[in-house]
Amino acid sequence: MQHQIKNKPDYASLHVLLDDGDQIVTEAGAMMSMDRGLDMETNAKGGVMGALKRAAGGESLFLNTYTATGPGQRLDLGPSTPGDIEHREMYGDALMVQSGSYMASTPDIQVDTKWGGAKTFFGGEGLFMLRCSGKGHLWFSSYGAIHTVDVKETYQVDTSHIVAFEDTLTFQVKSVGGLKSLLFSGEGLICEFSGSGKLYLQTRSASALAGFLHPFRRVKQQNSGS
Amino acid sequence: MQITVEHRPSYALAVVALEAEETVIAEAGSMVSMDTHIQIGTSAGKKGEGKLKGLMKGIKRMVAGESFFQNRYTAAGGAGEVTFAPTLQGDIDIHTLNQGTFFLQSSAFVCSDDRIEVDAKWGGAKTFFGGEGLVMLKATGTGPIAFNSFGAIREIEVAGTYTVDTGHIVAFEDTLDFSISKFGGGWKSFLLGGEGLVCRFEGRGKLWIQTRNSQEFGQLVGGKLPPREH
Repeated sequence: MQHQIKNKPDYASLHVLLDDGDQIVTEAGAMMSMDRGLDMETNAKGGVMGALKRAAGGESLFLNTYTATGPGQRLDLGPSTPGDIEHREMYGDALMVQSGSYMASTPDIQVDTKWGGAKTFFGGEGLFMLRCSGKGHLWFSSYGAIHTVDVKETYQVDTSHIVAFEDTLTFQVKSVGGLKSLLFSGEGLICEFSGSGKLYLQTRSASALAGFLHPFRRVKQQNSGS
Repeated sequence: MQITVEHRPSYALAVVALEAEETVIAEAGSMVSMDTHIQIGTSAGKKGEGKLKGLMKGIKRMVAGESFFQNRYTAAGGAGEVTFAPTLQGDIDIHTLNQGTFFLQSSAFVCSDDRIEVDAKWGGAKTFFGGEGLVMLKATGTGPIAFNSFGAIREIEVAGTYTVDTGHIVAFEDTLDFSISKFGGGWKSFLLGGEGLVCRFEGRGKLWIQTRNSQEFGQLVGGKLPPREH
C-alpha cells in the first residue's frame, strides 16, 4: 500500500494506492473518488454487537472498509472541513482522536468509541473522543491548521480545538474561571492535560463558525392564526 | 510580551509569549490554549477603573460588534504562553504602537498588550445607514496589537486619497483621515450596484484591507440556514 497527502495545508486530501487484498477503514463520508474494483462494506468493523453498542451509547460512527480486489487500485479521501491532514504510524501506542477528526486507518488499528470518558469532552456538540490503538497507519484531519504542542508538565485547551492527543497524557475537563467567565467570556469547556506527550490542536472551531452564522439566519414568522 | 503568528496565511494562530506578571487582553472566546498557571480575568474595562466606567466601555464595544467582555490573561508567577484564533478563516498581522493610536474594524481585534486601551469610536452619524459595523475600535497606547482578516490581508501605503468598501477595511493608522459616503456613481449604483458604502481615506499612512467581506459571507450562508425562533 502506498499513501500520499496532497494539497496541504488548506485543502488537504489523502490518496491511497492499494494492492490486491489491502484494506483501509474510513469515516463514512470521506470517500471522494475510487477505482471501480474496490469492495466497500459499511460498519463491518466491530461486528453487529459493536454497532449496537455504538447506537445505545449515542455515539455513532459509521466506518467503511474498502478492500482491493486487484493490484494498483486507487482510493481518494477528503475530510469535511477545510484544513490539514496528519499521518501517524502507530507502533502499539494509543491516540485519542476527536470523532470529527478521525479520517482513516489500516485494519489493525482498533477504533474504540466506548472507552470511559469518551463523552466528557464536549458540551452537546455531538462529538466524542475515539481511542485508536494498535499497529498500522492512522490519518486525522483538522478545521484550519494543525498546531502541535509537546506537553511537558501541564497545558490547557479549549475543547472545541482538540484534534488528538497521545494517551500518555492524563486529562481533566472543566469549565474555566467560575460562572462569570462561563456566561460572559464565551469560554466553554477547558481540558487540562498533565504528563508528557503530544497534543494536536486545530486553529479554527466549527462551533465558533456556527456561532458567527447564527445571527444571519432569518427569524421564523410567528404564526398565531392557524 | 512577544506575539508571533503561526500557520499563516489561511488559518493563522496568534501565539503570545508572556513574561512573568505580564497581561494580554483578548476578545472573549478566542482563546485556543494556554499554560495552566495563566490566570483569566473577565472584565469589561481596564484594571483599576471604576465598575460603571468599565461597564459603559463594555456596552460601547458591544455596539461596535465586539464581545461585551474582553478577557485578561496574566502570567502569574512565571513566564507563560497563550494562543488565540479568530472565528473565520484568514490571516493575522501585528502592529506595534509606541504611545500611538490605531483604528481597527470592530471584528478585527485579536489581542493586545494591556498597556493599550481599546475603545469604540463612531465614524459619524452617516455610518448608521451602513449596517456593516462601521463603528471602529480605537486602540491607544504602547505595545503590540494583533488583528485578523477574513481572507488575506493587503497592506496599502496611502499618500493622497484612497477609497475602500467599508466591508473590506481591517485597520488603519491615525495619520489618515477618513469619511464614510455612498459609492460614487449616484443613487442608482448605491441601490443596485452592490457597493453600499465606501470609506474615503486622506493623508499619509498605512491601511490594511481584507480580500473577503465577512458580512457578505454571513448573509450568503446564514440565508440558506433554517429560520431561527427569535
